Amino acid sequence: MSEPLLVLDNVTKNYGAIEALKGISFSIGKGEVVALLGDNGAGKSTLVKIISGGLEPTSGRMLFEGKEFLARSPAEAKAAGIETVYQDLSLCTNVDVVANFFMGREITRKVLGIPVLDERAMEAVVSKALASAGTRIPSLRTNVEHLSGGQRQAIELNRFVHWGGKLVLLDEPFAALGVEQTRRGLDMIRQVASQGIGVVIITHIMQQAFQVADRIVVIRQGVVAGDVARNKTSPDAVINMITGETLAGAGPAG
Amino acid sequence: MNPRTRHALELILDNLVWFMLVFVLVVFSIFIPNYFQLGIFANIIEASSVLGVMSIGLALVIIAGHMDLSVESVAALSAMAVGILFCSSGIGLGVQLHPEWLMVPVSLLLALAVGGLIGAFNGFLVVKVKMSAFIITLASYIWVRGLVLVISGGRSAQDLAPAIRWFGIQRLIGLPLTAWIAIACFVVFSLIMAKTPFGRHLVMIGGNETATFRAGIRVNRNLIIAFVLAGAIAGLAGWLLAIRTSGATANLGVGLLFNAFAAVVIGGVSLKGGVGTLPGVYAGVLLLSAINTAINLMGLPANFTQVIHGLLVLAAVLLDAFKQTIRQRLA
Repeated sequence: MSEPLLVLDNVTKNYGAIEALKGISFSIGKGEVVALLGDNGAGKSTLVKIISGGLEPTSGRMLFEGKEFLARSPAEAKAAGIETVYQDLSLCTNVDVVANFFMGREITRKVLGIPVLDERAMEAVVSKALASAGTRIPSLRTNVEHLSGGQRQAIELNRFVHWGGKLVLLDEPFAALGVEQTRRGLDMIRQVASQGIGVVIITHIMQQAFQVADRIVVIRQGVVAGDVARNKTSPDAVINMITGETLAGAGPAG
Repeated sequence: MNPRTRHALELILDNLVWFMLVFVLVVFSIFIPNYFQLGIFANIIEASSVLGVMSIGLALVIIAGHMDLSVESVAALSAMAVGILFCSSGIGLGVQLHPEWLMVPVSLLLALAVGGLIGAFNGFLVVKVKMSAFIITLASYIWVRGLVLVISGGRSAQDLAPAIRWFGIQRLIGLPLTAWIAIACFVVFSLIMAKTPFGRHLVMIGGNETATFRAGIRVNRNLIIAFVLAGAIAGLAGWLLAIRTSGATANLGVGLLFNAFAAVVIGGVSLKGGVGTLPGVYAGVLLLSAINTAINLMGLPANFTQVIHGLLVLAAVLLDAFKQTIRQRLA
């Protein structure tokens, strides 16, 4: 494996008496695509939120680029270079495509010392980013509420591709996409990873995981039930790990 | 539909209140004798300055997805604070500063500080303690008005210091300086909302608070600033109110809150948050004022005003729903 980007060491999360995560340990390398699989309620989304600063872990530690890391807010995670695409879309439907693309990172120029939005510069960046990804949206000045589910998800995917950072977390990013758009989305992920960015993708669809991931990590009942390279396992073996028919950590040749 | 018609339609939809205002003014000018006079138009603008300033603060908070019911009482408290210090009769202490003009910035800062403090209090409870803005600011609406009664003992202060009164008397191009202050506020805050990251963030927070938080926008900080601004702007409205009435009474400004709400809603601001612009709010304020003036000129009993305002609010909400359907088709 390449140099580790993020290392999780025995991360736990309790909600009152309920142990959502009972001690998760795995790592993600630079330029590596890790598919995070698991049944509903296994703790995948909780884990993503902990890495992305939406939740704080109860115990355990994380190392990001070799240094102790804990994001207390999404802003901190972002500052460290961690981008997240959430399952429920994180778009403000009341503003236009450009505003959503730049949410919180607007390009400004100073007028009398006051930061003023540079709409033209932002629009140029967005139209370039969307064009290079092959996404067509009639007007970048349309409010997102008037766009289709697929277009919205495309905006969000293009957004992470554009901003990149060092690590990208994707929580079921293709839920609203058609076949062709999903294929393009998977291409995007490979393209991002080839730039040395680590990618964690949560999915329910085995085929997607096997298409895109270098490594497959299975979480079951709050622990890592399997951590295997894609080319050393098979969909059937992974399904067994998810449902718990094989012992923790067991892959066919792992 | 070609892009040009789309643009034209969007322009009309975005500025519908302004078209309504022009329409109403034209209709009144044609059908009401003596309506079409520069003096009347100046009066419409003048009469809407206090309400206009107050509506700005209210609109900021509503656009950010919250609510501030306390603006009316905050304005009254600021006015009373200014009145007690700088009025010479009634309960006024008649404080004199030398040189005289010094009273202007001091009274203005006092009004802004009173408003800003209550705004900060509201904002803190809403954002940090995570209580409903409706309840918190309803409480403030009540206790701040109570405070006005307590510090005034139910009596009034009259004869505001001439140096401060000057703003209500001195005219520039036919309008008193107080009206220019209101216009300047609209220009400044419209620019802030439309052109700066802070304004953009407030709109987005009103649209989807979770998304903005995830995107790393400092939601809590922005919201508290919005509440402080709403309070301080209400304080400014109170300062203007004190100048306008040359003092302060315990029931000063009662009922302004509902007019401010009407103006904000008519101006195209959605109570759900995230939708609306300040120029629209100003048009809403002017529209209300134009209708009041018409009622006065026609000699109708003033009680009609309230009926008409209520119907206007209803019409505005219906119109908003209609606009949404058209927009959906445009996209």
